[in-house]
Amino acid sequence: MILLQQMINGLALGGIYALIAIGWTVVFGIVGLINWTHGEVFMVGAFVGFFLIASFKMNLFVALGIAMLVSGLTAVMIDRLAYKPLRTSPRMAAFITALGASTFLRYLGALVWEPHSRAYPPTLDFSVLTLTIGSQQLTINSLQLFIFAVTLVIMAFLQWFITQTMMGKAMLAASQDFETVTLMGVEVERLVILTFFVSGLLGGAAGVLVGVLYAIDPMMGAMAGLKGWAVAVIGGVGSISGAMIAGLLLGVVENLTSGFISSGYRDAIAFVVMVLVLVVKPTGLMGFKFEEKV
Amino acid sequence: MAVVAPPIVKWRPNLSKLLGGPKAALCFSAVILFMTWVDSLALTEDYIFTPYFKHILFVSLIYSVATLSLNFVSGYIGQTSLGHAAFFGLGGYTSALLTQVWHLPFWPSFLAAGLVAAAVGVPLGAPALRVRGPFLVVVTYGCGEVFKFIALNLEITGGPAGLPGLISPSLGVSFAHIGPTGKEAFIVAALALALFLAFLMARIEDSRVGHAFAAIREDEIAAATMGVNLAYYKLLAFVLGAFFAGLAGSLFVHYLSFVSPDTLSSNESIMMLTMVVVGGARSIPGSFLGAFLLTFIPEGLRYFKDFLGLSYDPWLVLFGLLLIIMMRVRPQGILGAETVFRR
Repeated sequence: MILLQQMINGLALGGIYALIAIGWTVVFGIVGLINWTHGEVFMVGAFVGFFLIASFKMNLFVALGIAMLVSGLTAVMIDRLAYKPLRTSPRMAAFITALGASTFLRYLGALVWEPHSRAYPPTLDFSVLTLTIGSQQLTINSLQLFIFAVTLVIMAFLQWFITQTMMGKAMLAASQDFETVTLMGVEVERLVILTFFVSGLLGGAAGVLVGVLYAIDPMMGAMAGLKGWAVAVIGGVGSISGAMIAGLLLGVVENLTSGFISSGYRDAIAFVVMVLVLVVKPTGLMGFKFEEKV
Repeated sequence: MAVVAPPIVKWRPNLSKLLGGPKAALCFSAVILFMTWVDSLALTEDYIFTPYFKHILFVSLIYSVATLSLNFVSGYIGQTSLGHAAFFGLGGYTSALLTQVWHLPFWPSFLAAGLVAAAVGVPLGAPALRVRGPFLVVVTYGCGEVFKFIALNLEITGGPAGLPGLISPSLGVSFAHIGPTGKEAFIVAALALALFLAFLMARIEDSRVGHAFAAIREDEIAAATMGVNLAYYKLLAFVLGAFFAGLAGSLFVHYLSFVSPDTLSSNESIMMLTMVVVGGARSIPGSFLGAFLLTFIPEGLRYFKDFLGLSYDPWLVLFGLLLIIMMRVRPQGILGAETVFRR
């Protein structure tokens, strides 16, 4: 019963992880860059949502939409300013640029918004549903259910976008073979902008949802971003369905860890799982093989 | 008529060569030793070089050792590691525990710190046999984070508070009692360690091992075809790097007489990698340059901040910008060789 309870608690968090992870994975799949700033895009989304709801008394859904848009544009801006000039230089140079941009944005956020944590004002009336099965109780928080539902809707929409629209199909094709897609007449730079935009949208959505569920602070991007990458790796980089499954898995496993082992190790478990997955099966749960060419 | 190509003045390789030579090392040591001991010769009570300056000098030297040791992985075999602080902190914790819980003297604990870090370098280096490039970065980062969580949660490591009151190393006389500020002997020890490591690396570069490292860095598959044992040399790079990082960590925490999970933090790892990147990978003088620049600049900015009355530390924001600009202007670092990062 405790197991079931922890699994329910983990679902909402897992959905959020999956959203962050998909944001990483689309950029890596298409641009081939570990976009270390994704955690900061997520942080920007959380703060934009916070100010819209707290200062402008906006509806949660409107705030979510605007925060997603702002995060998407932030991600595109980062790409234009930091990554684009390095498109043809070695990957490691782009990665270290990403590392620098991430530190820059994180501490700029801390400078502008002050490094203390704050909570969203109550946005939704939520109720706690208690089920009694036998002698034991199972509590289901409707807020968590709501968040889980929102993540599912976003993921369903993403799946539709990628498999049904022309742009989405181009993205999918680019993640499989970038060079061939350019030969097929797809405008690469537009595709890259779109990719960063989609990645930012998802990151922003995750940021607002985390804000609704927990508290936010300018440093939140560091841990959440890394966990998102860990999830992306566990699921198999480049695989959206893999990221969904791995995200939910990690959310549940984290809750089980804090419930059964110690809450101190809660944040470490993602990395342990990630390292094990990478060592045992470097392509992740559902990833495809990167062919080594001589 | 034959076109005579204008002679290309290769000032940068020449400069690197000059700075990498034994004469430069001698001058460097002489300057450091002068700054360390001139106060003992002076007749007045006033400090010529303040204890604060000597503290920064010591920290720079310790970071030089850390940066040099990171060069085994990030320079020689060309893999980026973001978990180097794990070895550094592990060395610190090992010698802290050995001296405090088992009451061993400093020097055996110092060696043990290096050996334990090296031993942990094997399992931490093992993923490098299967994953490379960006994936390895994340694995090393993840391992470093896991170490931090272990240090934060175990009782024996003192949790978030760490272990205070570590003994000072001694050679007959405790290091803390040598010299006017008590930091002089530490500076000499750190300098000796850094010079020893620099000498070792200069010797390795042109040896069989160094050539194997270079082959792996330039093309792994070609190296394997030529009979280079990839697993052995990759692990060797990790183990060597970890050993010296462990030694540096041990000396550092006994200097502070305090060890906390902060020494293991990912920020430290990022800082060490930045020192390699800024100074130039595979360049011994570059490592010193990177370590000194990135230790002195933040301290200088702190003065600047107090001077201007700023309410925040500008370093952390500038630090990110520095990395971006460095990658744009000179991706191989100030003193780096021409090809460092490959696709």
